[in-house]
Amino acid sequence: MALELTGSYELPVPREAVWEALNDPEMLKRCIPGCEELEKTSDNGFRASAVAKIGPVKARFKGSVELTDLDPPAGYRIAGQGDGGIAGFAKGGAVVKLEPSEAGTTLHYSVDAQIGGKLAQLGQRLVAGTAKKLADQFFEAFAKAVTEKAAA
Amino acid sequence: MFAFTYHRPSSVRKAAALAASVADGKLLAGGHTLIPTLKQRLAAPGDVIDLGGIPDLAGIELRGRTLSIGAMTRHAEVAASPVVKEAVPALAYLAGLIGDPAVRNRGTIGGSIANNDPSADYPAACLGLGATIITSQRRIEADDFFTGLFETALEPGEIITRIAFPAVKKAAYVKFANPASRYAMVGVFAAKRTADIRVAVTGASQSGVFRWTEAEEALKKRFAGRSLDGLSLPADDMISDLHGSGEYRAHLVGVIAQRAVEAAAG
Repeated sequence: MALELTGSYELPVPREAVWEALNDPEMLKRCIPGCEELEKTSDNGFRASAVAKIGPVKARFKGSVELTDLDPPAGYRIAGQGDGGIAGFAKGGAVVKLEPSEAGTTLHYSVDAQIGGKLAQLGQRLVAGTAKKLADQFFEAFAKAVTEKAAA
Repeated sequence: MFAFTYHRPSSVRKAAALAASVADGKLLAGGHTLIPTLKQRLAAPGDVIDLGGIPDLAGIELRGRTLSIGAMTRHAEVAASPVVKEAVPALAYLAGLIGDPAVRNRGTIGGSIANNDPSADYPAACLGLGATIITSQRRIEADDFFTGLFETALEPGEIITRIAFPAVKKAAYVKFANPASRYAMVGVFAAKRTADIRVAVTGASQSGVFRWTEAEEALKKRFAGRSLDGLSLPADDMISDLHGSGEYRAHLVGVIAQRAVEAAAG
């Protein structure tokens, strides 16, 4: 099933600092909910694994992430795919755009993803809510991390 | 199912100690969410801690104006209990609407609340009545307990022991059930206890059960269905699936809330 999600976040740090953080695997690893591994495999490619835990369901996804359409410091597209074994699969991407704002930077994101397998069959009513929750968790953690880093 | 180690502790203290000592444990109450999830291999905990052998978690009692229900009490017991019917009739009625007879004879109130499925019935009663959730560690007000989709204030290994409800007669639950699963497409629990007016909505929001504060404000002037005329909720936060769009659910909340208030005021 397909999934679309858009939103924006205000970050109280300059655009360059946000851009740098968006390209820092350690920073991303800390902010991605359930991320266990994010290793650079090429200039713009990463190997990733993350545990998705939603209510009773707990599945480990392994896959790859790639950054494309790099336009520093205005944004990029981050795309990936993951295999959750018997739970199913997920693939998709997000276009991230950074705009200077009064407070610092406005981050706009637009996600499109495909989910298949058992997770999609059983979790149909929950997939959209779950995706929104994970996005919120990521951006909350990311906002906190870039703010702390800028203050340090 | 994957292999796991099965435990059946005899006290809450032992269960909590077990939960703290294993790396990847799951508490088993009635098992109506966990067991299907295990069968589908959507979770593979290393340890399953069955709460079914703990006598302290059972029983329904009324002490003064407080109805205390043990966490392992089955939905069917709550539905049939003369004590519940007398103290909070709406709660007994709600329990009788959950799932089907198989679910009601296995599923437990504590399990339902700890799971906080966004379409479950009990969370609406807890929030709508202003219940207190009592755990192995502390007491948590319902307002602070349900924190989002499948999320609660429970710490890992913290076990719900009892749920304390105030005795409220002016209360009603109205549910628009999915005809196949009996999950709430929208369920509204409305209650009035002196000046405290609560309208709790389940089944509708992507973030799980919530209080419709705008409706509560409107009902302060007059506790009647008509007070909610013209009130509506935004559709973007509503669950949208093959059973109904977000707009459909947002509209349904208004309709069901009016019926719940009418029933409670009646």
